[in-house]
Amino acid sequence: MARGGKGPADSPKDSTATPSPRSILPITPTPSKDRDVVKVNNANLIELKNALDDAIKRFLSRPDLFKQIHLHTDVRLALGWTSVIIAGSTAFYSYRLDFEQTKPVIWIGLIVYFILTSIQALYAYFVEGDIIFVGKRKTFDKRIVTERITLSSRTKPSTPENPPGYTLSLTYRRSTNAGKSLLGRGQTSESRPYTAFFDDEGVLDHDRFETWVGEIVGRAMEPEWQ
Amino acid sequence: MFSEELKTLRKLGFRHLLLQVLNFASVLASGLMIWKALGLVTNTESPIVVVLSGSMEPAFYRGDLLFLVNPPNTRYQIGDITVYKIPGQEIPIVHRVLETHDIAKTVNGVREAVRRPENQLLLTKGDNNYLDDVELYQGLDWLERKHIVGKVRGFLPYLGYVTIVMNDFPKLKYAVLGGLGLLALIQRE
Repeated sequence: MARGGKGPADSPKDSTATPSPRSILPITPTPSKDRDVVKVNNANLIELKNALDDAIKRFLSRPDLFKQIHLHTDVRLALGWTSVIIAGSTAFYSYRLDFEQTKPVIWIGLIVYFILTSIQALYAYFVEGDIIFVGKRKTFDKRIVTERITLSSRTKPSTPENPPGYTLSLTYRRSTNAGKSLLGRGQTSESRPYTAFFDDEGVLDHDRFETWVGEIVGRAMEPEWQ
Repeated sequence: MFSEELKTLRKLGFRHLLLQVLNFASVLASGLMIWKALGLVTNTESPIVVVLSGSMEPAFYRGDLLFLVNPPNTRYQIGDITVYKIPGQEIPIVHRVLETHDIAKTVNGVREAVRRPENQLLLTKGDNNYLDDVELYQGLDWLERKHIVGKVRGFLPYLGYVTIVMNDFPKLKYAVLGGLGLLALIQRE
C-alpha cells in the first residue's frame, strides 16, 4: 500500500522530521554551474568508464542523496600500504646488514608480503568485484530507516553493430532496526552506449547521465516501497 | 600543464590520492620483493651483476649482464668464474678461479687440510690479465669463501649498458625515475 510523502502539513508534531525516503525521488541532476567540465579521450575505454564511475560517485554522494561508504577502498588501502611498508622495511634491513645475517628476516618479510598481496588480490576479485559505489542513507520516519545502495558497472565491448556500452547494476535495500528488519529490496540493471553520454570531443553530458542514473536509482527504490 | 590532473585529484579527494600513490609504491615494492626472492633462491646478495671492465674478454665484455648462484655446500672448482668482493672495496670483481686450497688445521699434531666447502681458499685471475689477482686482495694471500658473492651460471650480452650509463650520468637516473613516477601517479589504470 503506497504511503504518500510526509510533509509538515500531514503531521504537525513531526515538523522537524527529515524527509521520508520517497521524497528524494525523482532525483534531478546537479545544476550546471556547480559542475566542472569533464573531458576525456574518446578512444580510451578505460578513461570513459572511469569518467562515468567518478561522475556517479560525485553525483550520489551529494548531501541530499547518499553518504558514501568507503569500506572497499579502505580495505584495499590498508592491505596495500601494509604490504608496501613491509617490503620497504625488509629491503632496508637487508641493505643495512650482512646478507647471511638477514636471510631469515628476508624470508619472513617475503612470505608476509606474499600473503598480504594475495589477500588483497582475492578481496578485490571476489568481494569487491565490479562495485564502484556503496552508499547509505538514514531517515527518521517513526523509526530509523536505513537505506543501502550498491552500484557496480561494467563495460560491454563493442560489436560491429553496437558501440561500446556501459552497464550499470544497482541493488537497493531498505531496512530498519539496525538492519534486522527488511523493509524493501530492489535490483535493477541497465545498459547504455557510451555515445549517449560523450560527444565528439569527449565531453561528458552530465545532465543526461545524471538523469539516467537518477531514473535507475528511482526504479530500484520504488517497486518494493511498503 | 598539470592543472587538469590537480583539479581531478582535488575533486576526488584524499583517498584517491592515497590510492594513486599506493599504485606507484606497490609497483616498486613488488620489484624489490622479486629481487630479494631471487637473491634468496640463488643464495647470493646480488643475483644479477653487470661487467664493468674488460678483464674477462673474450668471455665477457663490458656491459654484459651476469646471473650468479652461490650453492651453499659445494666447493668451487678451478675454472669457475666467480664474483668476489674484497672487504673495504665497494665494487665486486669478476674473475676465474686459478687455484684452490683449503684452510689447514692441526689435528693430533698433524697439520692437514680440512676439505670442507667453507674452508676453501681461492686464487683468481682475469682471463684478459697478465697477472693473477694477488695485488687486488689488499693484503690477503688468498680469497676466502666468505668473500665470494657467487659464481656465474649464465649471461646476457649488452643489457648491462643501461646500468653503466645510468651510473655515469646520475641525472639521467633521476630523470627516468621522476618521469616514471609522474606517469604512474597521473594515470589511473
